Amino acid sequence: MTKVEFTNLDKVLYPEVRVKKAQVIQHYIRMAPRMLGILKNRPIVLTRFPDGVDKEGFYEKDMPLSTPSWVKIFKKHSETAKREINYVVCNDLDTLVWLANLAALELHMTLSKIDEFEKPDLVVFDVDPEPSVGMDDVVDAALMLKEKLEDLDLRSYVKTSGKKGLHILVPIVREYTFNQTREYVHQIGRYLARESPVVVSEFSRSKKPGTVYIDYLQNSHGRTMVCPYSLRATPRATVSMPLDWRDVKKGLKPEEFTLSAVAKSESNPWKGMLEDKQKLEKSVD
Amino acid sequence: MEEEPMEEANARIPKRPFWSGAVTIGLVNVPVKLYTMTFDKAFSFRFLHKQDGQPLKYQKVCVRDNAVVPWEDTVRGYEVSKNRFIVFQKEELDAARPQSSQKIRIDKFVDYLSIDPIYFERSYVLAPDKSNEAYSLLLTSLQKTHKAGAGRITLRTKEYPVLLHAYKGALVLTTLRYAYEISDPNNFEELKRLMEPEKKELDLAVKIINDLSGEFDITEYEDTYEERIRKLIAKKLKGETIVAEKPVKEEAKELMAALQETLNQLKKQ
Repeated sequence: MTKVEFTNLDKVLYPEVRVKKAQVIQHYIRMAPRMLGILKNRPIVLTRFPDGVDKEGFYEKDMPLSTPSWVKIFKKHSETAKREINYVVCNDLDTLVWLANLAALELHMTLSKIDEFEKPDLVVFDVDPEPSVGMDDVVDAALMLKEKLEDLDLRSYVKTSGKKGLHILVPIVREYTFNQTREYVHQIGRYLARESPVVVSEFSRSKKPGTVYIDYLQNSHGRTMVCPYSLRATPRATVSMPLDWRDVKKGLKPEEFTLSAVAKSESNPWKGMLEDKQKLEKSVD
Repeated sequence: MEEEPMEEANARIPKRPFWSGAVTIGLVNVPVKLYTMTFDKAFSFRFLHKQDGQPLKYQKVCVRDNAVVPWEDTVRGYEVSKNRFIVFQKEELDAARPQSSQKIRIDKFVDYLSIDPIYFERSYVLAPDKSNEAYSLLLTSLQKTHKAGAGRITLRTKEYPVLLHAYKGALVLTTLRYAYEISDPNNFEELKRLMEPEKKELDLAVKIINDLSGEFDITEYEDTYEERIRKLIAKKLKGETIVAEKPVKEEAKELMAALQETLNQLKKQ
């Protein structure tokens, strides 16, 4: 049924909630039908925790040494590393299961695809709170953003980051460069910062306590975001969970979307998202 | 060509008696034949030569020059220390061997249920040999008294303590292990420092045991390996080739179920 040979299924990867590797693999198998579509043809970066989230983990851009030959690889020269990087591309269930078996708890994906790597098909707004800001302020900022996007005739899709923030995505036609999408997101951030005392739009001010930063810098070549339904390396095994906008309201508790809590979820709040390719036509101001 | 598997586990009746002689109780003789009753393994495989499929035979090979040594050139050696042997000639060992008397000598009668099954080794069915009457009398009297005869038998080269008892309308002989063949649990260090359980815990444990109590039925336990081998043999006889599958661990089974479900969903997409 799978090419993957499971190993150490009994290994505890989340000691605080006693989640074993078998449950992590189970999670990715269950979420696969909703994950594989968006993962398709995107290089991914792994965050592996072979000894559990309380022990040291590591980022892995390059494919692991043990990568089997049937795993799709995307070769790309990296300016920063000054060498060729072999990215893993997760196009099928076997690859996803293989990654889970490697204890690659977090899967981060690029905002563009390998066939046109310089043209993003996703625009992301990373709504990222600084400590002392309550979740309700994050929800307020996200709803303001949603309204602004609607003014610009853009439909948006929201998910929890799996930590404190929210990610808001707009799928687009592949006609823009990263410079253009980044600038567009930045403009919207600046607009919101003028409207709200809590929102900040500039990286230089992003660490200011009590603020919500709309991070636009992720809309860059080679940068990644945690993919929907990915686990996070948090003590309670939280998940980056796609939500229906109707559920983004006061009282939202992203920390409640844990591996065990989402296990029974079957709905897909992002239905149709992949086909919803939009144009960034209206100017922000 | 239609072939039947050579062995049918539940219907096996040995063709020949394993031993024949008489049960003797004092001056009474009951002539009997002994048949093997228990089987260690349902299947035994023979080793074949991979290239031509021919059966392989064992040969004794000298460790010094690798020469094949024929049976008549062998003697028995007892290893007293590493590579130092005391040699015995066949005649010397034969002289020490117990006399095979063709008798099952019963010394006394004991309560069958009072004997710990730890001692039980192998069981044999006794069938009447010529005289039905004496056999029937012995069987019926054991059934009536719920007793078993304790005594001894010499089988091949060894003398065994035995129990003679009634089982499903037959006399059954069970050979026993000697006391020296069984280790005494009191010799284990770990068992010398056992703690007294707390009363509350003990009460709970007793309650669990009572709740789970029932009649023992051996047929509730199935040998899944033997069942699988049996199916494989049937397939091979029909000429089907067999694809080796790795055994799936219990914990992986749930994952396999989830995989199946996801694969079904992906097919629909």
